[in-house]
Amino acid sequence: MFDLLLAGIENVLHLKYLVPLFLGTLVGLIGGALPGVTITMTIIIVLPFTFGLDPLQGLATMTGVYVGGSAGGAITAALIGIPGTPSAITTTFDGFPMTQKGQPGRAIWLGIWSSCFGGLLAGIFLIGATGPLAAIALEFGPWEYFSLFVFALSMVAGLTEGSLLKGLLAGVIGLAITIVGSDPIMSVPRFTLGTEFLRNGFPFLPVLIGIFAFAQLMTDIEKMKGSEHAAAPIKAPPLTVSHLSVLWEIFSRPFLLAWSTLVGILIGVLPAIGGSAATVMAYDQAKKFSKHPERFGKGNPEGIIASEASCNANVGGSLVTIMAFGIPGDAVTAVMLGAMTIHGIQSGPLFVSQHPQIAYGIYAAYLLAHPLMVLICAFGARLFLRVVTVPKSMLIPNVLVLCVIGAFALNNIMEDVVVLLLFGLVGYALVKARFPLAPLILGLILGDQIEVNLLRAIMSDANPWLFITRPISGFLLALSVASVLFALWQHRRQKGRTREVDQEPDF
Amino acid sequence: MTRDGIAGLICLALAIGMLVLTRGLPQSSFVPLGPDFYPRIVLVIMAVLSALLIAADLWQRRAGAALAAASAEPAAERRNYRLVGITFAVFAGYVILLPFVGYRVATFIFVAALQSAFDPPRGARRWAMVLISALASAAITFIVFQHYLSVLLPRGKWTDW
Repeated sequence: MFDLLLAGIENVLHLKYLVPLFLGTLVGLIGGALPGVTITMTIIIVLPFTFGLDPLQGLATMTGVYVGGSAGGAITAALIGIPGTPSAITTTFDGFPMTQKGQPGRAIWLGIWSSCFGGLLAGIFLIGATGPLAAIALEFGPWEYFSLFVFALSMVAGLTEGSLLKGLLAGVIGLAITIVGSDPIMSVPRFTLGTEFLRNGFPFLPVLIGIFAFAQLMTDIEKMKGSEHAAAPIKAPPLTVSHLSVLWEIFSRPFLLAWSTLVGILIGVLPAIGGSAATVMAYDQAKKFSKHPERFGKGNPEGIIASEASCNANVGGSLVTIMAFGIPGDAVTAVMLGAMTIHGIQSGPLFVSQHPQIAYGIYAAYLLAHPLMVLICAFGARLFLRVVTVPKSMLIPNVLVLCVIGAFALNNIMEDVVVLLLFGLVGYALVKARFPLAPLILGLILGDQIEVNLLRAIMSDANPWLFITRPISGFLLALSVASVLFALWQHRRQKGRTREVDQEPDF
Repeated sequence: MTRDGIAGLICLALAIGMLVLTRGLPQSSFVPLGPDFYPRIVLVIMAVLSALLIAADLWQRRAGAALAAASAEPAAERRNYRLVGITFAVFAGYVILLPFVGYRVATFIFVAALQSAFDPPRGARRWAMVLISALASAAITFIVFQHYLSVLLPRGKWTDW
């Protein structure tokens, strides 16, 4: 394993892979730092740039974006008190007060170094656990896969904020989109309205970009009031700091670093929960374990360490689930999985054994992205602050152009761009109706696999009870039911406390 | 009926419409499971969930009518839906123009039009900035994608450019 890892690192250190990894990390950091531009959005925008690259180059770029994006949120969270990504919200609690106390360098570097070490520690787990978990997944038949996908979907639908019914319905809408096109056994066209274009179903990427990117951009546009260029530019504060003292602050709290990393990994491995829950949970745990909980929220370094270490550890955990089981845990990993498919890689239990060069290349890219992230921040943190103040009136048209390129470039046909527009309207309508998008995206990605495994299972043995009587399959289905019941209980409990208001959509 | 009920009705109509369409799908004597097997499961679940959403909406309306009257909703942030409509319209125009005038011209027009809609330029200097940034967007993305990333971008039927 270590030989393969060393070979992977040596491979990725070649300029051919290092440059895309560097650029991916840079763009991820900027995207993560931009308030209103989430990691999912950044990954969607970067995806078309990887079409012309070889699989490892493309996946190294995407890994860089994922790692950089997770850390980038800390920059704006600490310096201007606005989380660049939702998962950086807890970094604002102590990062911004620290900046206000005149220590912006300490705030930002505590975040960056903690992200780096949390991510690297999770890398050990990623490399060590993917193989054994994939071995377990190898025992899976179509019954288990079907139940696993149903479990992932029910978890995501159940754990989204807002209505459970709408979460479940969103997931089923995602599945319904995938039934358009030829059936997987006899290739009979279904719901194609006689068009040749729809024989292969709705193209995945334009649908994904349309639903997600438009929904988010239009929500930003709704809030625009014009004359955005007139906003006063943010003055970048001095970020000089003694790195040795920052590193000492982190390593003098080894339990905090290790525990926050563990929380991040575990939340990352479980489908559906996501980075925001990981950081909130790690922050909460850090406060509970702290000797001085009263200092939290007032510029306590422990708050920043817990939040940022768990945030990047979450990335490592999520990658384990994609690489071992081939299932995405949230919208970001769903796009990552889509990127793998576009580059001709079937993720799942056989991935590491069948494509060791690419798998260990991804591990290497993941590990190398962390020091690269530190290096980029050392030179560019002040620059990022200038970039994040680019007016939305300039940013949004260019993002939309990239969406068009992303939709068009895969098959070079205009119909894909029309699908982009159509699903842009659908995505925006769903957001306005307060439907969560994460279950829909997961349904969209898992739909074909759910159908194929259901049909395989029934065609191998017509007994439908096998889904329940086979131990792993039955266990996973029981978990699915339990997750829906838990969500139901949780929603009922919350309902008694708060009434639904015009909340922000769940991206 | 609130937006939940309307969304439920649209989803229910879609599910029923598609369920009706599954009746016309051809069956095979070789394969026990027809092409309609899985779609029907998905669409029935969709129809049931949509119906539940409508029912929940109606139930909440009845139960919550008095409560809603008693406590006023907090004032929501004012949303600029006009700008959203303009963006969709300009984007639709871009999609229509692309195959006729090609990527470079259509992108230049699209970026300039949308920037002007978001932040109406006042004075020659602002107009120049809008046009220069639109030109830069079209040119840079074209060069990067077409020349460096081997992505073929749409050529115009009218302009052959």
